[in-house]
Amino acid sequence: MSAETILVFNNLFAILTLVALGGAIGLLVYRAVKGPEAATLFGDKAIWLAFAVALVATVGSLLYSEAFHYVPCRLCWFQRIAMYPLTIVLLVGAIRREAVVRFYGLPLALIGLAISIYHNFVQFFPSLEGGSCDPAVPCSARSIEMFGFMDLPFMAGVGFIVIAVLLAFYTKASE
Amino acid sequence: MTQTKKPKPGAKDAKSNSTIWWIVGGVVGLGLIVALAMSIAGEEPVDASIGYGEPTVTGDPLPVYAAGQEDVSVGLTAPTVEGADWEGNPVTIEPDGTPKILVFLAHWCPHCQAEVPVIQDWVNDGNLPDDVELISVATSTDRLRPNWPPQTWLEEAGWTAPVIMDDQIGIVAGNYGMAGTPFYVVLDGDNTNLGRVSGEIGTAGLDQLVALAQSGGG
Repeated sequence: MSAETILVFNNLFAILTLVALGGAIGLLVYRAVKGPEAATLFGDKAIWLAFAVALVATVGSLLYSEAFHYVPCRLCWFQRIAMYPLTIVLLVGAIRREAVVRFYGLPLALIGLAISIYHNFVQFFPSLEGGSCDPAVPCSARSIEMFGFMDLPFMAGVGFIVIAVLLAFYTKASE
Repeated sequence: MTQTKKPKPGAKDAKSNSTIWWIVGGVVGLGLIVALAMSIAGEEPVDASIGYGEPTVTGDPLPVYAAGQEDVSVGLTAPTVEGADWEGNPVTIEPDGTPKILVFLAHWCPHCQAEVPVIQDWVNDGNLPDDVELISVATSTDRLRPNWPPQTWLEEAGWTAPVIMDDQIGIVAGNYGMAGTPFYVVLDGDNTNLGRVSGEIGTAGLDQLVALAQSGGG
């Protein structure tokens, strides 16, 4: 895989992340303005959107490790552990149209988000994970840097936020 | 007699239309994002050799450094390195009678990014004695990682120590047993390894390395 191709994907996922983050913020603002009726915006499509976010994050994660040969660090693995099952859980929940899926999805999304926040924190304060960089897979060093601040854990964190927000909307719509 | 509730006329069509618009909107939006990503990345291909050198290494490699354990490589003769900086000026690590402090740096490593200005300020303050040489090795270079290329970073930091550009497989780092960056090796004038340490050491650590280099390990 050429460096130019990887750069295209870096840009693609970075822009998707910004769009998703903007969407999540927009949804929260919409909810604040409209109140409970905002939940009707997506109806049961919210769960399909949440599944799409989890799917893109999972495929992107596998693309970086298996095709681009970025070795996931320890904290990246913890985030994968939260994100990968979400793909299956949300798909099954979407097909069966079960509101109960939020009880399975939200904890995973929030745990993943907590790890992402910590991972981003480590990248800003590297001494939290020791005083040197493992040349192969350092948690404290950024694998990529888009727009001067965005690395893979930031993208994962936004994914978890969007999934959590969509699950909250789905909850309201189904009740 | 039970009556079944008939759906309102057109309700199914409206739902179907809504789904179609969601799909169309999603595909168009994704297409725009892909086009934007390709246009941003659509610059001329960069010379893949930037940031790398072609150093030659002779002699037996030092074993891999293990932090927190006794360094079994102390007393062993370190390999001789013939390399060059990014402008092609030759830089060597050889038994020329001058004790040396080697520092291995990776451009993407936040600990190296923090340590470089500390080292440079320490040098600028006159703490590096004339009888000890400081040589740096730019290693683990990766174009896709932040702060690339290393020469731009070091120039902007006002780096004055000679720099050996390591090659793509990190042959110099590998032969010196580097296990993390920043990575320091202290050699006496015969290229005998007096000690190695990994991580940020600050000015106090640098003073200790100088003392070790001047003492010859005694």
